[in-house]
Amino acid sequence: MLEKLDAIGAQALKEVEAASSLEIVEQARIAYLGKKGALSEVLKGLGATDPSERPRIGAAANEWKRKIEEALEARKSGLESLELEKRLREERIDISLPSRQPHKGALHPITQVTRRIVQTFARLGFDVTTGPEVETEFLNFEAVNIPKDHPARDMQDTFFAGPGVVLRTHTSPVQMRAMREMGKWPVRILCPGAVYRCDDDATHSPMFHQVEGLWVDHGVKMSHLKGTLEFFARELFGSGSQIRLRPSYFPFVEPGAEVDVSCFNCSTQAGSGVVARDSCRVCKGTGWIEILGAGMVHPRLFEMAGFKDKSLTGFAFGMGVERIAMLLHRIPDLRLMYQGDVRFLSQFS
Amino acid sequence: MRISWNWLSEMVDLTGVGGPQGLAELLTRRGLEVEAVESQGAGLEKVVTAKILERAPHPQADRLSLCKVSMGSGEPLEIVCGAQNMKAGDTVALAQVGANLPNGMKIAAGKIRGVLSNGMLCSEEELGFQKKSDGILILPETTKLGVGLAEVLGRSDSHLTLKVTANRADCLSHWGIAREVASALGQKPKRESPPELDFRNSPIAVHLEAGELAPQFFGCYIEGVKIGPSPDWLVQRLEGLGSRSINNVVDATNLVMFELGQPVHAYDADLIEGKVIGVRLAKAGEELALLDGKTVKLSGTELVIADSSRAVGLAGVMGGGNSEVQETTTRVFLECAEFAPTSVRRASTQHQRKTDAAHRFERGVDPAGVAFAITRLAQIVTLLGGGKIIGSVAALKPSRKLEGGAESREIRMATGFCADFLGIQLSEAECQRVLESHDCVVCREGSDFVVKAPSFRLDLSIPEDLAEEVARSVGYDRIPSIVPALTTPPTATVANASGMRGALINRAKDMLVQQGFVETLNFAFTSGRWLKECGLESKVKVVNPLSEEHEVLVPSLLPGVISNVLHNWNHHFGSEALPLRIFELRPTFHLEPGAESGAKAQGESETGVQERWKLSLALTGPRASGGLRSDQNESDFFDLKGVVENLLEALGARGVRFSPLSASRSPIEGVSALFHPGQSVEILAGNQVAGVMGLVHPARAKAWKARTPLLLAEMDWEAISRLCRPAGDTRAYKAWPEFPSMERDFAILTRTDVSADKITQVALKAGRPIAKVAKIFDIYRGSQVAEGMTSVAVRVIFWDESRSLQEVETETASKQILEAWKKELGAELRG
Repeated sequence: MLEKLDAIGAQALKEVEAASSLEIVEQARIAYLGKKGALSEVLKGLGATDPSERPRIGAAANEWKRKIEEALEARKSGLESLELEKRLREERIDISLPSRQPHKGALHPITQVTRRIVQTFARLGFDVTTGPEVETEFLNFEAVNIPKDHPARDMQDTFFAGPGVVLRTHTSPVQMRAMREMGKWPVRILCPGAVYRCDDDATHSPMFHQVEGLWVDHGVKMSHLKGTLEFFARELFGSGSQIRLRPSYFPFVEPGAEVDVSCFNCSTQAGSGVVARDSCRVCKGTGWIEILGAGMVHPRLFEMAGFKDKSLTGFAFGMGVERIAMLLHRIPDLRLMYQGDVRFLSQFS
Repeated sequence: MRISWNWLSEMVDLTGVGGPQGLAELLTRRGLEVEAVESQGAGLEKVVTAKILERAPHPQADRLSLCKVSMGSGEPLEIVCGAQNMKAGDTVALAQVGANLPNGMKIAAGKIRGVLSNGMLCSEEELGFQKKSDGILILPETTKLGVGLAEVLGRSDSHLTLKVTANRADCLSHWGIAREVASALGQKPKRESPPELDFRNSPIAVHLEAGELAPQFFGCYIEGVKIGPSPDWLVQRLEGLGSRSINNVVDATNLVMFELGQPVHAYDADLIEGKVIGVRLAKAGEELALLDGKTVKLSGTELVIADSSRAVGLAGVMGGGNSEVQETTTRVFLECAEFAPTSVRRASTQHQRKTDAAHRFERGVDPAGVAFAITRLAQIVTLLGGGKIIGSVAALKPSRKLEGGAESREIRMATGFCADFLGIQLSEAECQRVLESHDCVVCREGSDFVVKAPSFRLDLSIPEDLAEEVARSVGYDRIPSIVPALTTPPTATVANASGMRGALINRAKDMLVQQGFVETLNFAFTSGRWLKECGLESKVKVVNPLSEEHEVLVPSLLPGVISNVLHNWNHHFGSEALPLRIFELRPTFHLEPGAESGAKAQGESETGVQERWKLSLALTGPRASGGLRSDQNESDFFDLKGVVENLLEALGARGVRFSPLSASRSPIEGVSALFHPGQSVEILAGNQVAGVMGLVHPARAKAWKARTPLLLAEMDWEAISRLCRPAGDTRAYKAWPEFPSMERDFAILTRTDVSADKITQVALKAGRPIAKVAKIFDIYRGSQVAEGMTSVAVRVIFWDESRSLQEVETETASKQILEAWKKELGAELRG
C-alpha cells in the first residue's frame, strides 16, 4: 500500500509540475486530491490493512497530500504570475497618443491686468467703485473742471449719445458720483471701467479701459501720491522699479503730472540675455515708459462734489489698462484686444 | 508748436543748456513737453560749396560727365556726375566722401564705370530740400567756396516741436518760451523796444460794440507801404516754423504772432469802408468771404470785425477776403486786439477753422501785451515795406488799461502752503524766490504770502497753481515718496454694494474660465445692420460715430459673441472642428422708460439711458480638446445647459428655472429669429424672464456658414445676481444620508410630449417622503414603441435620514409612484 501511495504521489507531483494552465492544475487537484481522487481511492483500502500499519500509512498519505497541495499552490501561483505578465503585455498602450483635455478657459488680458491693479491698490485700502458708461456731459466734463468752450475739451474727442449725453471719456465722473453719493471723507476709491474716445489706430481704440484712483482726506500731500504710485509700480513692474513725475496738465488736478516708470525691459549694463538700452523697443532707448497721469485734486472738484471743508486735499491718478497690458505682455497692436480671437485670448492665462 | 533755436537764442542766452537736445530736456522737465528736435543741417555736415573747373564727358558712358571741382583751396577733385544741367564755372553742392545725406545716401569713394569719383554733386532731392528735383543744385556765383552748405543757405537752425498744454497760453510764442527758459536759467529774457506809437490821429476810428467779448483793440495806419516778397531770412524763419511766406506785410503779422503769441492782422486800409472799424456780434444770416476763399454764413453768435457797412473779418479766427492786403496795396491798417477766449473758440469750432490765431485766442492772450504787439508790428511792417505811420488808435473797455492790461489777480496763501501741500522741504525764502523768478510779485502779510501773478499767466489763480509753479521749478524729483497711512479701515466688501457686485462678477468669470470659457471684450457700439442680422435693434444711437460700424450701442452681448465665433471660424485653418467656448459680461444699453425719443440729459446725472449688465455665452464644437476622432463628440444643448446649471449653482442662485420658449411671453427681442424653437428655453428668475439659451436657428446657422451646431445663452446679470448668494454668505455644512438608500428602476411608456421634468416631479411627489431622487437615465423612441410614445427609464432613490428602510416601504412607495404616473401622465409600466 505504501508503494502504491508513493507511486501515486510521485506521479501527481510530476503531473502538477508539468501543468501548463490553471485548468490542468485544477484537474490534477481533482484527480489526486478530490473526493474520488486517486489518493482517496487508495485510502479506501485502508480498512483491509493491518491495524498496526495504519498509522504509518495514514502519515504517509498525509505527507503526500501536503506535498501535492504545496506543488499545486506553487504551480498555480507560477502560472498566475505568467498570466498576469501576459495580460500586462497585452494591455500596454502607446502613452504618446494625444490626450483628452478639458477645455482651457482664460480671462481677457484687460480683466487680468485690471485685477492686478485693483489688488495692488486694495492693499493700500482702496475700494472699487463703478459707474455708468453713458454719462452726462456735465459729470464727464463740467463737474471735473472741463468747462464748455474750454480748449481742454480738445484733449478728449467725445462720442455723443444725445443732447448732453456722452460716452464717458474717462472714469473721472465715477469719482464725482462717488464723492457726491458718499458726501463724506476720507475717500479712497478705485474706478475701473471702459471709456470711449473718437480715435482708431494701432495705439488708439474707440473703446478702451481705465483705472482711476482717488484719495481725499485732510493732510493728503503730493508726496503721498508719489509714494502710492511708487508702491504700485514696484508691485506691477518689479521691485527694482523707479518712477519719475513730469509736470503736465489735466484740468481736474493741480499740480498735474505724467508718470513714467523705469524701463523693465532693458538695461544700460550690457550682458547676456539683457536687452541693451539703445536697442530697447519698449522705452525707445529713453529708459522710461509713460504709464499714467496724476496730480493733486483741483479744489473745483471738491466744490462740485459738495465738500465744503476748504482744508481737504486729495490726489488722483489714472491709467490706461490696455497700455499697461501691452507693456506687460509685449502686445504689439491694440486692436488684437478686441478681435475676440481665441489664439490671442488664451495666451495669457 | 515749433520753436526756432536761433530765434530763441536772440532772446535768452542758451550757452550751457546742452544744445537743442538739452533745451528739449529742460523744457520737458518743466512741463513743456518737446515731442521732436530737428536739426536743419542734419545730414549736410560733409556737404560743402565747390566750383566746377572743368566738365568733360565720361570716357565709358555717354550719359555721365567727369567734373573737376575745387573747394577754393587744396587739390581739385574728380567727380563723376549724371546730371546735365551744370557747366564749368557753376558753383555747386559737393557731398564729400563720408557724407551721410538726408535722403539716407552714404557717400564713399568708388569707381563709376571705371573712373574713380571722390564724392557727389547733389540735387535738392538728395539734400532733402525737395521731394523731387531735376539736375543738381546750382548756387549763386557769388557763393563763397569750401563753406558748409547749411551755413551758406542759412539752414543751420534747429527746431523743437512742443506740445504746449491747454493751460499754458503764455508759452505759445518764442517770447513765452524765452521767459520760461530764462526763469529756469536765472536770466531775464531780452528784447528790443520798438518805437512807441502815439495813439492819436488815426484816419480810421475804432468802435467796440461787443462789451467784454472784445475789451481792447489797437490800430495803426501806415501809408506808402510797398508790398513785395519777404527777405530770405524771414522766408526761412517762417518756413522753419512750418508757415508759408505770402508777402512782406502778411509775413510781418505771422512773425509777430510767433514772436509774441499775439495774433494780429493787416487790412488794405483803402478797402475799409466809412473810415471806421470795430468789433460787433455778427448779424444772423450775415455772410462773410474769408481769406481762404470760402464764404461762411454767420449765426449771430460770432464776433466780427466790421467797417461801416459790412464784416471784414471773423474776429480772432480769420480775416475777410474783402479787405485783404494785395500787391497793389499801399495803405495798410494794422489790427491788434483781445477777444474773449470762449467766443473765439465757439466761432472757430462752429466754422471749423482751427487757425493759429484761434488756437491762441481761445487759450487767452496776455491782456497787457496787446499794446506792445501793435508797436512791434508797426516797426516790422515799416522795416520790411517802408511807409510812414500816419496815426494809431487805442480802444479800451474800462476793464483794461493802456499800461498793464487788466487788473492783476491776488492769490493769498499761507507761507508754508506750497511746502506742506507738496510734502517737500522748502524754505519760505526759496518759495518766494521761485515765484519771483516767474514774474510773480510776492508780498508777505502776517503768516501769508500775497502773490500777484503776471498778466500773461492766465493759469495762475489759486494757491495750488502756485504750488505747481514751485514744484516744476524745483523739480518734481524733489518730492519724496511716502506711502500714506490709513486713518480709517478699508470698507469691507460685504458692506459695500460695489464690492459685492464686483466679487460676484469675479466669481462668475472664474467659474466660466474653469469650465473652459474664454472671455472676450467687444465694443459697446456696433452697426444697425449686424444687430438686425441677429434679430435685434438698438434704441440708443451714437450721434457722431467713426463709421456705421459704430452707429448704435448694443442692447445685447450676443451679436458680439456671435461675431467672435464667426471670426474664429473664419480664421481657423485646417479641417478639424474647432472647439469654441466664449463669454462676455458687460453692460448693454437701453432707453429708460419714457425716453423713447432718445438719450437726453436730465439734470446733472440722468442720461435717459439704462445700462443693464448681461452675461452671454457661446459654445460650439467638440466636447473635449484633443484625443482621437472617436472621442470628439459635438456639443449640444445639454452641454450648454450643464454649463449654465454649474454656473448658477456655483453662484448660489436660487429659484432659476428653464422653461420652453413661450410665444406669449417673450420680452427678449429677436429670440424667435435667433434660436431654434424646439431647442431653446427661457431662463426664468422667479417669474421674470431673465435670459434665453439654446441652439441657433438653422436659418441663421446656414447664413453664417456654421461649421458646428452653435449654442448661445444670454442672461440678464441684474436679475440673476439678485438671486445669488451674496459674497460673505458662507454655506453651512449639510450631513449626507447615514442609512443605506434603496433604488428602483422603472421603464415606462409615456406620450412624447410629457417632459422629463414632469415625470420626475410626479415621482418625487407620489413617493414622499422617502423618494429623494428621481432621474431619467435613458429614453427610447422608435419601432419598438408606438408612434408618439417614448419609453423612459427612470431611477428612483429612496432613503430616510433617521433609519434603515424596510423593503416593504419602498415597494409601497413604488406602487404609489406608478399609480401617480398613470393617473397624472397616462404613463404605463412597460411590459
